[in-house]
Order: sequence, then C-alpha cells, then structure tokens
Amino acid sequence: MSQFQMTFKKPTPNRVLIADDDPVMRHLLAAVVKQQQCEVVIASDGREAYRVLQTDSQFRAAILDISMPFLEGLDIVHYMRSEKRLMKIPIMIITAEENLKVMSDSFSAGATAFLPKPFTSEQLESSIRMLLHSQKLSRIAS
Amino acid sequence: MPRSETANSQNASAVRTSRTLTTDMLDLEALKSFDKIKSDDGSDILIELIDLYLQGTSQRISAMHKAADERDERQLKDAAHTLKGSSSTLGLRQIAMACQDLEAASSNSPGDVPMLMRLLESRFLEAKPALIGERNRRLLLRNKFNGAERH
Repeated sequence: MSQFQMTFKKPTPNRVLIADDDPVMRHLLAAVVKQQQCEVVIASDGREAYRVLQTDSQFRAAILDISMPFLEGLDIVHYMRSEKRLMKIPIMIITAEENLKVMSDSFSAGATAFLPKPFTSEQLESSIRMLLHSQKLSRIAS
Repeated sequence: MPRSETANSQNASAVRTSRTLTTDMLDLEALKSFDKIKSDDGSDILIELIDLYLQGTSQRISAMHKAADERDERQLKDAAHTLKGSSSTLGLRQIAMACQDLEAASSNSPGDVPMLMRLLESRFLEAKPALIGERNRRLLLRNKFNGAERH
C-alpha cells in the first residue's frame, strides 16, 4: 500500500441561492453575486426556496429576505440548519425591519450575516464577499 | 425690479424648486452608489432597476388597494413592507416613509389606511417624473457610449 494517501476535497459549489419576493432586490442581489463569479439560483418566495433546497444542496451560500410570502426567511434558516446536507451553507438575511430583535432572532436561528435595508452598494458588495468567503474561513479555522 | 430680472429670478426659483423636489423625492446620491454594479451585459444596472421598480410599484399599489378594501391586514402589511425595502434602497425616502406608516396602520389604526394609501399614491406620482428622468438620462448616456464605441 502506498505510504501516501491523497484525500480529495469536494470542490465548493459556486452557486448562490437568492430568495426575495421583490424583483428589484432580486435583480440587484443577482448582479452583485454574478460579479463575484458565482452562478445564481432565484426563488421568488419562501416556498419556492424551500422546494429548491429539498432537492438541491449544492450551494456556496444563500441570501434570504426575511419577509416573504408562504414561508419566511427565518423558516428557511431553521430548515437549513436542521438538515445535515444544508447545515454548513452560509446564510445572509436581508430585511427592511428596523427592529433589533429581528437581527438577534436571525443569528439565533443560525444566520451567518445580516444586512438591513437600506444599504449602499459598498455595504452590499462587502457583505456578499464576506458571506462567500465565510465557509472557506471556517474551514481554515477548523 | 425690471421685468426681465423678475422673469429670470422666477425661472431660477423654479429650477431651485424642481431640484429641491427631486432631492426630496429621490436621493440621487443613494442611486449613484449603485453605479459600480453592472448588469449582465456590462451596462448600467440602474436603468433595469428603475424599470422594474416602476412596473412593480404600480402593480403593488393596486394589490394594496385590493387588500385594504378586503381588510386583508396581512396582505397589506407584507406589500407595504416589500415596497418600503426597495424604495429606501433606491433613495425614495418619502415613499419608504409612507409605506412604513401604512405597515404600522394596517394593524394599529386601520381607519388611517385610506388616507395613507392616498398619500402613498401621490408620493409615487411625484417621484415618477424624477425616476423616469434619471432613467432616460442614463439611457441616453449608454446609447452615446455605445455609439462612440461603434465608430
């Protein structure tokens, strides 16, 4: 048997799930994610996001609006954190809520990042960059 | 004051008023902050965002009217919340404020909803020319650049 063993790490998928019921926000978020050389999978409400995640776990990150029809962003966070195959996907919550409790609820549920509206392009771009690299950082740390 | 001077000063004041209105209704600095982000074909994404906003907002306001008539508090609140998000991001603070008031009134003071819906509609009508103007200005620039690249 060879003295050396090679381990192949599964490559990190380069797709990002964006779930938002607002077409303006979806378009803006998708453009920023694409600028980071990632593919985009769009869901226009919480139920659609849930359906996508039921059969597909190959995502580098997920960006979820907190307030969506049928299923809210936090419901999706709870679902993702309870499923082994989705557990490690970094999640960013976006919201127009001004209530600080929403932020603490998001982190308690397992969100990785939180971005309140309104935001500038710099805030949006740096949050998305951080989100996309957070999985890499946590792998290095562990 | 001579007549021509009066006319000039009236014109200047009209320009000032229109600029102030534009600033009140639409924060161009907030919009400009998205200049760095490009659409799929590399062109100005704000043209597409403004088009999406104008189309979506008319439809959303109609849906809000329907929800208000049917006293569907949840539907009205959700629609006001969504509109607040995109309006504030695009620098339409007055519309965002009207949406915030509607969001609160939908559960706390439903009697205020018809008045707030009228306010939201009038703010949208006031903001529309500024948004369309900004969209057309950007479209003109894009066409100019595209033309210059071809020659």
